[in-house]
Amino acid sequence: MASPLTLIMPLIPGTTLDEIIRVVAKYTPDISKAVKNIGTVHYARVMVFDRSTPNLQPGLTPGSLSLAIITEYDGDFNAYIQDFVVALGEAFFDALLPLVVGGKALLPTIDHIPEFEKYVMINDASAHPPNSLQENNGLYEAYPYTVQTILASCG
Amino acid sequence: MSSVEIDYADVQGTILRGYRVDLARHFILSITDAAGAGAFIGGLVEGTGGLPRITTARRWTVKPECFVNVAFTAAGLAALGVTSQQLATFDPAFQLGATSATTAQTVGDVGESAPANWMGGLADGAKVHLVLSLWVAHDPAVLDKVSATLRTAFAGCMTELSANDANALPGNEIQFGYRDGISQPTVIGAPPRKYGGVPDDQPPVATGEFLLGYVNESGGIYSVTPPELSLNSSYAAFRISEQDVAAFDAFLTEYAAKAGIDVETMAAKVCGRWRNGNPLELQPDAPGTPLPMSQINNFTYVSTTLADDDTLGIKCPIGSHLRRNNPRNEAVIGGGSTTSTRHRIVRRNIPYGPPYDPAASPQPSVPRGLIGYFINASLTNQFEFLLSQWNNTYSFVSSATDPNGSADGNAVFNISGQDVFLGVNDPSDSSFTLAAIGAMGANNKTLTGFSRIVITRGGAYVFFPSITGLRFLATLPAG
Repeated sequence: MASPLTLIMPLIPGTTLDEIIRVVAKYTPDISKAVKNIGTVHYARVMVFDRSTPNLQPGLTPGSLSLAIITEYDGDFNAYIQDFVVALGEAFFDALLPLVVGGKALLPTIDHIPEFEKYVMINDASAHPPNSLQENNGLYEAYPYTVQTILASCG
Repeated sequence: MSSVEIDYADVQGTILRGYRVDLARHFILSITDAAGAGAFIGGLVEGTGGLPRITTARRWTVKPECFVNVAFTAAGLAALGVTSQQLATFDPAFQLGATSATTAQTVGDVGESAPANWMGGLADGAKVHLVLSLWVAHDPAVLDKVSATLRTAFAGCMTELSANDANALPGNEIQFGYRDGISQPTVIGAPPRKYGGVPDDQPPVATGEFLLGYVNESGGIYSVTPPELSLNSSYAAFRISEQDVAAFDAFLTEYAAKAGIDVETMAAKVCGRWRNGNPLELQPDAPGTPLPMSQINNFTYVSTTLADDDTLGIKCPIGSHLRRNNPRNEAVIGGGSTTSTRHRIVRRNIPYGPPYDPAASPQPSVPRGLIGYFINASLTNQFEFLLSQWNNTYSFVSSATDPNGSADGNAVFNISGQDVFLGVNDPSDSSFTLAAIGAMGANNKTLTGFSRIVITRGGAYVFFPSITGLRFLATLPAG
């Protein structure tokens, strides 16, 4: 059974869309490679929202941006959080977190694993009511298989 | 071995050195007078007042009469005056402690193994402050003599909740009859081992996996505040694990018959080594004569050559105890084939109780098992990870085929259940797979319905301060 992660990170006021897009674009290849190597993530996407617009869509003028990492993963996220940080810490989180409210206290992430774990828990919308009150935190699954079982079955 | 230099005189010996002794006594202590406890610790560090000196990792020319180390729970550090703000910088698992419901669930201390049932005062984690360990080569009289000295010294400031003895069995065996103490991580910067040759086929492990203040395998540094407690300190899980040998023998007899193999092969399949220590990877068909130390641990599971490859666990099951606890170069989730170095532990355990006599009738109800430490710099990412992910699940194996490709099978389909020794193993879902060549595990034998055979009888998450740290703690209560 997979679990959802809906990590929504408010960005420091004044952070521009350009800044955040640049960081995400720069590290997208690293993110893909790392996530594949970790082997527990079914799907993942990085999205930007603007809390100051009615439909949360960011516009050209600076607003109140949030960066969201939304994934479905196998197993215990906390057990593998150090592996995520090893794979993505220097390449992604350490570049991203200076733009995130409260993020600087988590740097370098490799030396702040417990703090990073707490940060993720606090900012994971799937882990809080009302979302967490839904069955499997609101995640629908078409199949009960792990990533590795699917890969193995595909030959 | 590397450029990492460790001040051995500042490190408690058991972290980096195996003492190679037959006897041990672990005192479980509760502090009643912090200042007195501080003075006792100070006496141990300096070897004053007739007390044996804390053993460090320094080389000795004459083997000491005894070895002494001391470790503290989070409650123990707090009792000595370490503040909650400082304790908040320690490993989260250590802060919670071994008796917390979260910890128990994580490591599988449930049912009969639940902390509420633990012996020797260990059930009440808040009262467990110190584990004071004494090791002696052979002579019980020395063990008792030094114990008497220690007891006299701590009597006024600490309550002895229990003293838990260990006694090595002939041939360095554990109660289940396997030869033990073969595989330990090679720690960068640690003292060289006594025997020569190749102790381990794997890369040496970063110092920071076993000592705070050094770079670890993740590229970070585990540390705590205050700094006096950080560099050269470490953590350990102290465990008393009762081994039900009669139940294990019955399991072997029943399931060997079900699998159509002999009992000794069944014993080797669930362990990964024959009882004489030889690994299935090198001796797949019969135990043979014990291999020399230079060879007995020199193997991997994955190779590009079909003849040498065991990706599918045909020789050594992927779910065997050996392979679960150290997958070596097998691909596992979290980081592929190099992940195992991030989850190594140093084991310092000695059996307790009399050896099992299968001929005894009626069989006396005598507890026996293994007692000691699992040492690491991160209880969360090492000890707890091993128990929760590799011993109590089977979904940690990455999709992988042998050099022939998927027609021979895939590693993912060749493991099931939990570790036969360290798993919870509720009969309703316990499972062990004997793999055979065939796509998607088509020809595998899966054995089900067996019970837990190792029961946790006690435990504590402890912190081994450096010598600098012990001196700091010794004076802390006095302000």
